[in-house]
Amino acid sequence: MLVPLLWLQEFIDLPTTDVGELSYALDMLGLTVESVETIRPEWSDVLVGKVLEIAPHPDADKIRICQVDTGSGPTQIICGAWNFEAGAMVPVAAPGAILSGELEIGRRDIRGVESNGMICSERELGLGDDHAGILVLDGDPEIGTPLGDHVELPDLVFDLDITPNRPDAMSIVGVARDLAAHFGIEHHVPEIQMSTVGGSTEIVVRVDDPVGCRRFTAREIRGVTVGPSPFNIRHRLHKIGIRSISNVVDVTNYVMFELGHPLHAFDADSIAGARLVVKRASEGETLLTLDDEERALTPEDLIIYDDEGPTSMSGTMGGARSEVSETTRRVLMEAASWDPPTIMYMSRRHDLRSEASTRFERGVDPNLADIANQRASAMVAALTGGEILDGAVDVIGTPTVPAVVDLRSSDVERLLGPGFTVDSVSAILTRLGMQVEGSEPMVVTVPTYRPDVTRPADLIEEVARIHGFDNFEATLPSGPSGGLTPEQQRQRILQSALTGAGLHQAVNLPFVGVEDLAHLRSELAESQLLTVKNPLRDEESKLRPTMLPGLLDAIRYNLSHGAGSVGLFEIGKVFFSVPDEDDPRLPAQPDRVAWAVVGDVGTETLGGAFIKADGAVSLALWFRLARSLGLRDIEIRSSSAPGFHPGRTAEVLLAGVPVGHVGELSPRTGRAFEIAGRVAVAELDLAPLLRQVSPVEAKTPSVFPFIEFDLSFLVDPSQNVSELLAAMRGAGGELIETERVFDEFVSPDLGEKKAVAIRYRLRANDRTLTNEDAGPIRTAMIEAAQKTGAVLRGA
Amino acid sequence: MSSPNEQVRIQGRSNLPSVVDPISALDQAISRAPAAVAAVDSLDGLATLESSLLGKESPVGEVRRRMATLDPLDKPRVGSRLNEAAEIINQLLTARRAELEDEDEGRRLLEESIDVTLESVTFPTGSLHLIQQTIDEAVDIFVGLGYRVASGPEAELAWYNFDALNTPRTHPSRLESDTMYLDWGDPEDEVLLRTHTSPVQARWMERHEPPVYIVVPGRTYRTDTVDATHLPVFHQIEGLAVDTDIKFSDLKGTLLHFAREFFGPQSKVRMRPHFFPFTEPSAELDVSCFACDGGEPGCRVCGGSGWVELLGCGMVDPNVLEAVGYDPAQLTGFAFGVGVERLAMVRHGIDTVKHFIDNDVRFLEQF
Repeated sequence: MLVPLLWLQEFIDLPTTDVGELSYALDMLGLTVESVETIRPEWSDVLVGKVLEIAPHPDADKIRICQVDTGSGPTQIICGAWNFEAGAMVPVAAPGAILSGELEIGRRDIRGVESNGMICSERELGLGDDHAGILVLDGDPEIGTPLGDHVELPDLVFDLDITPNRPDAMSIVGVARDLAAHFGIEHHVPEIQMSTVGGSTEIVVRVDDPVGCRRFTAREIRGVTVGPSPFNIRHRLHKIGIRSISNVVDVTNYVMFELGHPLHAFDADSIAGARLVVKRASEGETLLTLDDEERALTPEDLIIYDDEGPTSMSGTMGGARSEVSETTRRVLMEAASWDPPTIMYMSRRHDLRSEASTRFERGVDPNLADIANQRASAMVAALTGGEILDGAVDVIGTPTVPAVVDLRSSDVERLLGPGFTVDSVSAILTRLGMQVEGSEPMVVTVPTYRPDVTRPADLIEEVARIHGFDNFEATLPSGPSGGLTPEQQRQRILQSALTGAGLHQAVNLPFVGVEDLAHLRSELAESQLLTVKNPLRDEESKLRPTMLPGLLDAIRYNLSHGAGSVGLFEIGKVFFSVPDEDDPRLPAQPDRVAWAVVGDVGTETLGGAFIKADGAVSLALWFRLARSLGLRDIEIRSSSAPGFHPGRTAEVLLAGVPVGHVGELSPRTGRAFEIAGRVAVAELDLAPLLRQVSPVEAKTPSVFPFIEFDLSFLVDPSQNVSELLAAMRGAGGELIETERVFDEFVSPDLGEKKAVAIRYRLRANDRTLTNEDAGPIRTAMIEAAQKTGAVLRGA
Repeated sequence: MSSPNEQVRIQGRSNLPSVVDPISALDQAISRAPAAVAAVDSLDGLATLESSLLGKESPVGEVRRRMATLDPLDKPRVGSRLNEAAEIINQLLTARRAELEDEDEGRRLLEESIDVTLESVTFPTGSLHLIQQTIDEAVDIFVGLGYRVASGPEAELAWYNFDALNTPRTHPSRLESDTMYLDWGDPEDEVLLRTHTSPVQARWMERHEPPVYIVVPGRTYRTDTVDATHLPVFHQIEGLAVDTDIKFSDLKGTLLHFAREFFGPQSKVRMRPHFFPFTEPSAELDVSCFACDGGEPGCRVCGGSGWVELLGCGMVDPNVLEAVGYDPAQLTGFAFGVGVERLAMVRHGIDTVKHFIDNDVRFLEQF
């Protein structure tokens, strides 16, 4: 909300006008200063002049010759505006004056007649938008005085961010009230001098929806002459960015900013049947609003009807049919108070946020309605020459009563710390307009303009706010004890293991489209996917059931930006449309870790002898991860999964429970994601990896010498080496210290068999092994291997 | 020790000229050796010298050969002198050899110099996403204060996301323009993508007895399209302390501690009144600008104000405590929520949040 300092000062005698000090005070009140604009006159040497006489130009129809007195006798000025007559007081820029900061006024010859300066419009002076005529000054300013003496400049305009709980601060007076409490001084409210004439308005108001409409006041002003507002009103509205419309409309805006209560002026003669009815709209109805939009109404919209149908949108925007115009003679001034949620939903439904709706959404005090109405009616009457009818409308839909809250100083001290007494607390609350009676408890009556204050906690907040957040100490609570859980510590290890292998962590948005999943050949039925009802983009309305699409997109992004090799991993949730194990009210949303790697991996040298990412590399990453995490009881099985290469993918099991897949991306999926070459990919459930493992039981390394021998077998190409190794491990027993497969290949020379060569190292903990020990073990191992179908080579 | 003047009796079948006294020959060999050894400047030269000093044809070698022919009475004396000479010469040779080997290796090492300014071998170095690094660092600051780290579902019940946090049914943040709802569950128990990490407050308190000191890092969602300052998915760290004696000053002190750990020990904080449905009083916390000394015009971080808006916080609203079955008459608490992207952007001068989701390795690996 924009607050001009000079307008504000009408209601408060501020102890400072320093912009820094005022900004600090406002910030500390929670009326956050977004920015401050300094407005200065954009002219110099512009004086008040009186138009003495006006004569036609001999040679031009559209301009006139004016004799103007700016204190040193008549001066001749040519002027093209027609909105004034002799006797008008006008701003005169004499030769040498500067306008708009740069334009210097000179003597000119206009069609053979000398013009000694210029009579200025609002726009030429930067005081408004009006350029239809020149600025005619109100009142009786002294001739020859600087124009600056008669306008509210220079001024500061504060742009305040008012939080949604503070409807009371959405006005100049409200801001003055808070500042008064902050500085411990008084503030004023506008004085209303309303005189009325006998008689009642014939307009009847009926409220059919007492929840939606808390109060409806209406007052008729007769005999008005609609015209422009006085300059001081136009100028104040200009400073806060409001366009001047007419004296009647300007008053409704002016009073809304001044007091915080929105108003609406009807052309009373345009109210069909002289009757207004407040009720919810019906489907199919439309209303042409003031902004010339034909709006389709819904049954939730709260609308003001006359006998012809909808004529105004409550609390949001008036209708065109009953708009005040130049011909309006009777004005019905409406100040009604509306239900905040009704207005909030309605303004959003129609994408129609107005100054009125932003106030009603927060909750405008119904008890302010008639005060605002009187203030506005009095101003309209004064400005338009109208007369206010004595008999006004005031329909109470829902009465609003002040909250009464008990508060003890101990409640305050419990939350805010020591040092708060009945005296200090009640002094603060009183400054905010609350009535405090008694002590322990203090019985606090809260003004109805503070709907946010209904409980002791709300009062304590007010005490803290006015006491000043800066005046609290900084302490630390005593007593907590915590730390990372084993799972959280293990996640750090997992992160280190993957970054240590050269992978970069990615963060992707978890939205996917059905098409992305089709690329992965996902077997998931669409019904298993979790759908966002109101997605940002319709093509990404699903929550990811797999981490891969995001990672693959990120790989493609990097490749397309020049990267030759990319390794990414991500930790995050996937979602399924089945009940969650922890909370069945929710959809399942397990955490996963996944990676995708393309191109060169491993240590880089100038020569660039790299390993290329593929399924084997993915498995290497898995084993690195497993070792880092100390995982035991791991089983690896040949497997396949959607999007994975069917011959280069393993399923990983921990303690017999599948945790995910590790391997290579199917080339078809790679092509769909526009990634050429092999991609090492994996996707694993995170929780089983992070589950705490039992402490390792230490083995003492043997100090005795070892015996090493190599065994080489031919096996069926479909046979997994791990099967062979397991068989031999079973036969070799605990004496096998290490086994290392150092060769594995398939060759036609071997009759399409797979050759596998393994180096074994045997070592005993308690003695030096001899050939007599090793021989039988070796034999037993070979026999075990042969039982799996392997044939010993070179035997 | 022998003296050069001593005479050795020569016996029998020596083929040495009998005029050469073995003791003198040895003495002479000993006295000449140091200069000869010092004059050698290569290991090859040293090998040649060794054979000329100690080899068969050397004076020492000749004495050794003649030993058998010596008068038995002279043998011990000559023998002892012979050993002495051999040892002295050997020591000289050994010492010189070490010197020459050092010199030799020094030369060889220089010959195999590498360009140390060139990183010719690179071990793979990955990186944690800046979001993760920021979370881990911030979380560790609170863990150091004794907090636990909690987490919760991202697809969350509206009850935990809004109702339990004192957010009225009609609050605009519940609108679809702000919150993403999921096609799941029954309409009475709406499921949404959590708009903040605060629902974990309620979940934790439901399952744990006080006192509560937790931080909750995690992903949050809003119906925002991607631009320089908005992401539909972003990260927050929620903090919650509930105990029998938590005061407003504890909130201030805790966040001051955090600011000093995260932004540097010179940091100051200030709190401004604000509004959140789930705290009262509510505040926004500003941290003093760490990039300028405060109020430097046009500062890239604070824009000249000297303060950087950092997070929202406040004292836990009694309704929130009541909603989870805590007694607000016995317990007070504070809560805060900080945007992880914001923390990282402020500290590293990042101009757009898009960097956080592009996953461009060139961006990621900087941190």
